[in-house]
Amino acid sequence: MFILILFVCSNWDVIMDADTLQEGEEQPMRNCAPPSDSEAPVGILAPSLPLLRNHTTPEPTGRHDFVSVDEDQISSLDPSGDTKVELHSDAGPSSKLDSEETDSPSCQRSVSTPPSGREDVPTDPDQSDSGEFVVTMLAKAKLEEQGIGVKGRSSPLIEAGIQEASALASHRDEDVTADSWRQHRKHVFVLSEAGKPIYSRYGSEEALSSTMGVMMALVSFVQSGDNIIRSVYTEEHTVVFLQKGPLVLVCVSSSCQSEQQLRGELLYVYYQIISMLTQASISRIFEHKKNYDLRRLLAGSEKILDGLLNLVDSDPSFLLAAVHCLPLVSSLRDSLSQILQKAITPNLVFSILIAKNQLLTIVQEKTVIEDVRLEPADVHLLLNLIGASSAFQAGEIWTPICLPLFNPDCYFYAYISYLDPPECTVCLLLLSTDKEAFYAVAECKRKIEEAMTAQNSLSLIAKAQSYSVSQVGVSDLRHFMYKPFDVPDNYRQLTQFTSPEMEAPYCSDEEKMRLLDLYRYMHSRIHSTSRPLKLIYHVAEKETLLAWVTSKFELYTCFNPLVTKACAITAITKLLRWIKKEEDRLFIRYPPKYSTTPNPSKSSKSSKSEQQDSADNGLSLL
Amino acid sequence: MPDVSKMKKPDVKVVLLGDMHVGKTSLLHRYTERKFKDTTSTVGGAFFLKQWGPYNISIWDTAGREQFHGLGSMYCRGAAAVILTYDVTNWQSLSELEERFLSLTDTANHDCIYAIVGNKADLTDPKAQLSPNSDSFSEDQTDIVEDRTEPQVLSACPTPPASPTSLSGVVPRKQVSREDAMALYGRILRYKGLDEKSSLPADKMCFETSAKTGYNVDALFETLFDLVLPSILRKRHENHESPTVDLEDCRGSGKRVRSSCC
Ligand SMILES: Nc1nc2c(ncn2[C@@H]2O[C@H](COP(=O)(O)OP(=O)(O)OP(=O)(O)O)[C@@H](O)[C@H]2O)c(=O)[nH]1
Ligand SMILES: [Mg+2]
Repeated sequence: MFILILFVCSNWDVIMDADTLQEGEEQPMRNCAPPSDSEAPVGILAPSLPLLRNHTTPEPTGRHDFVSVDEDQISSLDPSGDTKVELHSDAGPSSKLDSEETDSPSCQRSVSTPPSGREDVPTDPDQSDSGEFVVTMLAKAKLEEQGIGVKGRSSPLIEAGIQEASALASHRDEDVTADSWRQHRKHVFVLSEAGKPIYSRYGSEEALSSTMGVMMALVSFVQSGDNIIRSVYTEEHTVVFLQKGPLVLVCVSSSCQSEQQLRGELLYVYYQIISMLTQASISRIFEHKKNYDLRRLLAGSEKILDGLLNLVDSDPSFLLAAVHCLPLVSSLRDSLSQILQKAITPNLVFSILIAKNQLLTIVQEKTVIEDVRLEPADVHLLLNLIGASSAFQAGEIWTPICLPLFNPDCYFYAYISYLDPPECTVCLLLLSTDKEAFYAVAECKRKIEEAMTAQNSLSLIAKAQSYSVSQVGVSDLRHFMYKPFDVPDNYRQLTQFTSPEMEAPYCSDEEKMRLLDLYRYMHSRIHSTSRPLKLIYHVAEKETLLAWVTSKFELYTCFNPLVTKACAITAITKLLRWIKKEEDRLFIRYPPKYSTTPNPSKSSKSSKSEQQDSADNGLSLL
Repeated sequence: MPDVSKMKKPDVKVVLLGDMHVGKTSLLHRYTERKFKDTTSTVGGAFFLKQWGPYNISIWDTAGREQFHGLGSMYCRGAAAVILTYDVTNWQSLSELEERFLSLTDTANHDCIYAIVGNKADLTDPKAQLSPNSDSFSEDQTDIVEDRTEPQVLSACPTPPASPTSLSGVVPRKQVSREDAMALYGRILRYKGLDEKSSLPADKMCFETSAKTGYNVDALFETLFDLVLPSILRKRHENHESPTVDLEDCRGSGKRVRSSCC
């Protein structure tokens, strides 16, 4: 009895397919290539693949939606492309689920059978009746979310959710039955392995708990065949799954991004959660209690995750996995670095100066920098945390934070303070491994503040700004992103990129997003797993783009639509020359170091050896 | 005491504790910046310096989120006053004070004073909906206390309502009466092994405030500051070598930050 049902939301209808089908053919952007072209080997998973979809969507013919499964065992695509809402079950009669007929007696019948618990999505892959279970889950989901696909209706459950969340502004209190909810460009859900909702970007987790339950049912069902579900493609949406430890992250996107990019974004979400709780404590919690409601621990962190997702959508740093630093005359950057270098205290490991959400300089502890370098993703998470928590900026913040790529299991203690109240654009971030070091670290800030006042640094920083592409002096060039790779002499440096301000015609948010989408498309082509490219010249409707990756750099450029290929190549040569000339201003070239380790025998690993300490740092829970 | 100005300024540490969303950050913000504005849930703790006469008072606004629970005792170390904050429309937030937060105060000073503050009074109490005439509020403390008890007696609701959300969903019901808070105050004294008669009386140490309108907010902080200073001075005179001198040193030299803080 093999049944796989997909139900995500009314028109997120699906057909199954295997990951391997994509290989050998380029991953198309939106209109996925017909999997029927390729042979679809029959795997153990799905001799029959019933599909569930909402009747409100027009019956597509020759749809090419598919689910990909990360395994050699490949499931077959039901060749009939059946899109009916019927659920076939070898074991019993098919139960009809029609989302339009919310009062359908068959629905109620299916619902009356299962127990009421919501956390009872099977985690046991061997559960023999998982197929039926999924059916049940779906039926339940349908009933509880009967509003879905039926405009203007809302269940009591949803109303309650709204009521509870009414105090919170944001998207938390969105009506998950409304069309507007479904039309969001990118949904992100986080749930526990037991199917408990943890986070939803839009709408409250409570209102969506059954939707998430279904997602989990899907994940566990595929798992029960020793497979991992990776993605589902539909005409309008890409659904990407990422399982990390006891957490399942799901992205439902109608953007043009590749699965790989979306998975990368889910990974950022996962890392942000880790940065607040550490991986070790999450595993510990779920080891003890599979049904633990992680929202208890993450309550209040929604805004941080919301902020992260907004940044991910609007800031190419995430796409490029590189840090953007504010262009600064190198003498000024050096003097700031020296100020940070002098204001130290034992166990201080990173001193970071930020202006307008971009890096000014970063100084690292010597022994730390020898072992590991700070990953761009960790910096992104730090910057996001600062952005999301700085509504009340006058105080000095002291908080534990984990840098998941540095070490996912231990905490640093972050001191965060603004140096220019009330404007609050220049922010100092000092990271220590010592929980008790607040006053000592705060004293470092006083020193830094004093030195900066003496050198008039703040007003100099205030003048610093991003640059205009016109400075490059290449007429057809509208915008670019340049990311140099590690070269031997700056190995262990933070990966950075440089990019001018987005100027006309990329002024409105829509236009900016459109350009970013084009870059994302170019990026997905360059980084395609099946057919990576080194150079792409892409003539779009309103502009021409050229992306180029070499062993030394990755470059994305955007030109006037009328540029010729030859012109573009010349322009790029000029651009590269200009970047080389401006290097010292555009990048943090030689990050300085200091030594704060009180005991020389104690290496940077000391911070890593604090793992056992993490229990009493943030979590005294278990 | 002219010598006080010559030695390092005494520092007092005041800590705000309480469940998330009860309005700790909003209270502090109302007091220091005279405004009520949008907040984000606090991460870890935030440190503020407030100049009170010739003294520097440090205030720690802590995160109520369970995620940061383990840090609470660190923020409380050496505290001279702890403000235990709850939300008058949320019974759970009061019981959390006893269940989750009280034990964090074990690291506070032995003579630490405790205030229990029911915030968001504007939601339940018409009196708290008006912006206060702050002068009259801080001048006569006892008046306010007597004033405040009246409406609660009328609408007395000593037992927790079964459902935390009112059905109407529009006007939140008052779930915690002042008597409940005062009873908790009594239990705290017992927990601390303090004699009720020699301690500050419950009706003086239980406040109902609104960060939104400013109701009782100045009264709260100023009462606490006044109560806390004599004990610090006494300690200074009795005991010149304070065991927390290293921390005091650091904080004492934090005078440069004053301008940037408050
Ligand atoms: N009506 C009303 N709302 C308030 C009042 N004080 C705070 N709020 C609201 O309650 C919410 C939480 O306020 P915060 O000050 O952030 O709460 P907190 O206790 O600092 O929360 P954590 O930092 O997460 O521990 C915000 O939406 C405030 O606008 C008040 O006096 N009246
Ligand atoms: Mg707060």
